[in-house]
Amino acid sequence: MPRLSGKGYRQRPLRRYGFFVAVAGLIALLLLQTSPRLSQGVEPVRTAASDQLFHITRPSLIDRLSGASEKERRILELEARVRELAQYKALALTMAERLEVYEDILNMQGEPGGAEVTARIMAETNGPFAEALLANAGATNGVQEGYFAENDRGLVGRVVQVGQRSSRILKVTDFNSRVPVMGEASGLRAIMYGGRDGLGRLTDLPEQGAFLPNERILTSGEGGLFPRGVVVGHVRGVEDKEIRVDLAMLNGQLSYVRLKPAISVPTPEAYPVEPEAVELAEEDGS
Amino acid sequence: MNWLSGFADSIALRWEAAGSRTRLLIGALVVGLIGMVGLTPKTFLGVTLAWPYIGLIAAVGWGRSGMAFAPMALLVLFGFAQDASQAPWGAHGLANLLIFGLSVLVHQMFDTDRTPFLSFILPVVTLFSGIALVWTVASISSGHIVRVTPMLTAYFATLVVHMLIAPLFDLGTRASLSRGSAG
Repeated sequence: MPRLSGKGYRQRPLRRYGFFVAVAGLIALLLLQTSPRLSQGVEPVRTAASDQLFHITRPSLIDRLSGASEKERRILELEARVRELAQYKALALTMAERLEVYEDILNMQGEPGGAEVTARIMAETNGPFAEALLANAGATNGVQEGYFAENDRGLVGRVVQVGQRSSRILKVTDFNSRVPVMGEASGLRAIMYGGRDGLGRLTDLPEQGAFLPNERILTSGEGGLFPRGVVVGHVRGVEDKEIRVDLAMLNGQLSYVRLKPAISVPTPEAYPVEPEAVELAEEDGS
Repeated sequence: MNWLSGFADSIALRWEAAGSRTRLLIGALVVGLIGMVGLTPKTFLGVTLAWPYIGLIAAVGWGRSGMAFAPMALLVLFGFAQDASQAPWGAHGLANLLIFGLSVLVHQMFDTDRTPFLSFILPVVTLFSGIALVWTVASISSGHIVRVTPMLTAYFATLVVHMLIAPLFDLGTRASLSRGSAG
């Protein structure tokens, strides 16, 4: 049984009047928006309203409770980083291509290539005698003494002992490790050795010039132990009258390393070779 | 399970005792909540879910209690909130208000409480009118015929949700029937 409204009959025409006024007002509002100038005027209102609604609804309550919003934020952050890195990758590829062309033009001898091996670190020696790593790749995998090891951040060390299926890597943090390095910006040369505090120390510094604060330190390629340009770390500062280097490899993982061949420059002939002898050798070879 | 039925009974009793203002407030909160969730993207197994026009459900429900200023004001307000997405300002408000008026009219014309068929069919028709109105305004404002399928899925979603939560939009009073039709 419906309950009849208790309001007086006199109020009903007023409500109806209000209803029709509201409908007419909304129609007028819709029609007014057909004018481009008016429509442009109300767009900022829409933008502001959308922004407010966006803040209210994203992330949703369920997402907040389930932790999905945090994951989503992380995904967005990583996607942004991937986009940024993709730009650098494209730039690096372009630059590598140009570098190859320049090297061809200059007939420059590049760094020698060779078999590279990714090895898993089986054991780590951090005892008082040596700081070394034992990798699960050896002579059967093509690893030779003198190979250098890199992780995802930079130089790890140098292969000092090779077995059939394993190899020992002397870390750059070892006191006996000696790495010829250079400053990326200053171009100054030095020798880096390891310290017990996990920092590198620079010795044999040039008499003139100084390494820049926070400057990146790369291998100089001198001596043929390491190729030129491998990232080692960056200058931390001067402590106890010694320049300390923050090692880049410590910021990355040390479970896997990439073993790469070092520079192998052939020994020059003892005496100038006769041109005739060269021609004969070429004929024999053909 | 006795406590559950007891709890449900107490809720039903409280709802029966609630005044029209309390019911209006609860209805408005429901509209706000469902509308707010509707603004977030919703997918299930890769399929985008249709979301009901909750403003139209409120208009149909509140319209059963006759013409009143408060529901009209709320419906216009909800309409503006719906317009914030991309519709021209006033489009959803107009649809909500006209469906409210239609609901008032049909409930004044027919004794829906005593005819179950009418009480079922009238919301179906009024909600369809509301969706059709939104589609018409969208087509006019964009200058071309907009897609029908999303509107139809939204209509069915609106219908289903209406069947589930229609009692929440009952203000407890009824629109005055025409002379002679009241029992």
